[in-house]
Amino acid sequence: MKRKIVAVMLASTMVLGLAACGGGDAGTTDTTGGDDATATTEAGGDDADVKEGSSDDENTLTVWTWDPNFNIYAINKAAEIYAQDHPGFKVEVSEIQSDDIETRLTTAVSAGDLSTLPDIFLMQDNSFQKYATNYPDIFTDLTDSGIDFSQFSEAKVAYSTLDGKNYGIPFDNGAVIECLRTDMLEKAGYTIDDFTDITWSDFMEKAKVVKEKTGQPILTSQAGSPDLVMEMLQSCGQSLFNEDGSVNIKDNKALKPILEIYQQMVADGTLVEVTDWDQYIASINNGTVAGVINGCWIMASIVANDDQSGQWAVTDMPKLDDVDGATNYSNNGGSSWAITSNCKKVDLAVDFMNSTFAGSTEFYDDIITKGALSTWAPAGDSEAYAQPVEFFGGDAVYAKIVDFSTKTPSNITGAFYYDARDAVGVALSNIIQSGADMDSEIQTAQETVEFNMGG
Amino acid sequence: MSDQKKKGLSLAKKHNLTGWAFLLPATLLICWMSFYPMIRAFILSLQTGMGVNLNFSGFSNYTRILKDPTFKQTLFNTFFYLIIQVPIMLVLALMFASMLNNKDLKFKGLFRTCIFLPCATSLVSYAMIFRSLFANDGFVNMVLRSFGLSPIMWFGNAWTARAVIIIALVWRWTGYNMVFYLSGLQNIEYSVYEAAKIDGASPMQTFFKITVPLLKPTILLTTITSTNGTLQLFDESLNLTNGGPGKSTMTMSHYIYNTSFVQSPNFGYAAAMSILILIMVAILAILQMKVGDER
Repeated sequence: MKRKIVAVMLASTMVLGLAACGGGDAGTTDTTGGDDATATTEAGGDDADVKEGSSDDENTLTVWTWDPNFNIYAINKAAEIYAQDHPGFKVEVSEIQSDDIETRLTTAVSAGDLSTLPDIFLMQDNSFQKYATNYPDIFTDLTDSGIDFSQFSEAKVAYSTLDGKNYGIPFDNGAVIECLRTDMLEKAGYTIDDFTDITWSDFMEKAKVVKEKTGQPILTSQAGSPDLVMEMLQSCGQSLFNEDGSVNIKDNKALKPILEIYQQMVADGTLVEVTDWDQYIASINNGTVAGVINGCWIMASIVANDDQSGQWAVTDMPKLDDVDGATNYSNNGGSSWAITSNCKKVDLAVDFMNSTFAGSTEFYDDIITKGALSTWAPAGDSEAYAQPVEFFGGDAVYAKIVDFSTKTPSNITGAFYYDARDAVGVALSNIIQSGADMDSEIQTAQETVEFNMGG
Repeated sequence: MSDQKKKGLSLAKKHNLTGWAFLLPATLLICWMSFYPMIRAFILSLQTGMGVNLNFSGFSNYTRILKDPTFKQTLFNTFFYLIIQVPIMLVLALMFASMLNNKDLKFKGLFRTCIFLPCATSLVSYAMIFRSLFANDGFVNMVLRSFGLSPIMWFGNAWTARAVIIIALVWRWTGYNMVFYLSGLQNIEYSVYEAAKIDGASPMQTFFKITVPLLKPTILLTTITSTNGTLQLFDESLNLTNGGPGKSTMTMSHYIYNTSFVQSPNFGYAAAMSILILIMVAILAILQMKVGDER
């Protein structure tokens, strides 16, 4: 008899163990957190290091975000500043990549169980409309929370606003910058001024000279990634959607000229395509290319290579030649904080946000060293922004970028932003890599998005 | 009363009951973890809408599949992998198995382990390793260069990207199938081979006239599991090529995932596509059984 009992117990622990493994697999997250992350990250039960659900402690808030050097650093710093006036306050940060946060949100809502959500999470601006439209239930409406949204740039607040309701607290800024290697420009007889406030046709000519003199292409791009194309689109105030939400790919005035520029630069050898993100960063750091155009957060990766200190300079991106409303400014990336509907301490969370991300110049002065640029207007006046940065040749790059961001045209994202972005990526990839016909690819992209919206 | 009943239970019945008792936990678990979700998925496939705003709409998701060019593309990709990769892999596995079955071979255990080892690696990590091997400045191109050949942009072209996926799949799964063949081979009496040898049969003849026919049930099993696995291929498509360039290497499962989690979420449509894969797997399995089973 005893044996039987032992056997049953063993068998049941095995079954339970298997079940637990299955559950754990789906939820394990990449937790390669740096020092900043591990400092306040606490293991959350059996599920790797992810803390699920609202915290029981009334002075603790749980947070999901990514990037130890950037977002995690910022939220920990904010907590540190807030704790000075509110002893005992702390945040429990779980490092989760942005797309994993999105998958987790989707899963929680689909399962009808929001109790796994943290108090606060960070969301990419480009995804915000999709989630606010499809799953309004996960957000706490912040419209009348006391946060003064008028102090943030209007275009930025628009990302997290749906039907007049504010669902997010704007955080960092993705103003597009053009970073160039001054030492390589010199070899080609140029200075950074020759690349400031210019048009794409001018840029392409100069890029050819740089290529000729140094052998280096001026730009790098991840094959199939529409980042650069999307940045160029927004620089002329164009979106893949119209105001009424209909798809604006086929009749988009700017898209075809942009694709032609891209195609021409690949043909000239002035734009090199790499396979994945790691190679993209490597191409910047190991001197394969003479420059890069991307959101200002790319600075964090550029400064990672100390050896190149003083060899880089920052300027604005080229603008399109014959398109109405074209500017030298655009945006890529940037994100906003959201307070979930699962948060039991909304007052605390709002007060925390209001005293830091929406109310502390001290806070923004600190995180600027990480390249986290504020979209909160009062922070831009601070002296910290006017400091020269040695890495970029002693230029006051932060003030420059704040200036770019105020001039950036806004764009329309909507719930189907990623569907459209993907479709353009596929078109780009087919045109560049398989030599497909541009017009028919643009037509296909339009049809793909319309098909997805028809479901 | 109860005593009488107990006595009434014959030995055969008792045996049956014990059998059922052993089957019960597994059956319940399968029903709960497998069949119940399947039924829910079918119900979901009859609904349309974005996110959680779902409405019943009959079979409109299924008619929608027929009009979806992306699904057709992923269907083509998946069947391309199936038709090219499965035969290559199974033939290779069979060759390895019969080589390793040779009684005079030394270090048999070592070779067996080496060939089976890829199977023990995680799907994601091996996909990442293959990605870096075949990167523009990766190991494979380095080797090509050292032989004076021009490097290939493996992930830049639809056909080379598909080739990489097939190479990766063959590397990962050949050993797995080989183990099935090895165990099948071990059940074949050695005396049969000896008899063939005495009768003067060449190694080729022994292979085709003895090994293959006697292994038929195993070959059938591996064909069905491989077909099944290839139709549900996901990890390689996502991690190795991310479906690119364009959508030229994307598998059906990857597209289903994108429909649910990358694009604006359309769970009803994703469920409908999953059900369609289920039906395809079932049909192929039945066909293979009909062809392979000659009882």
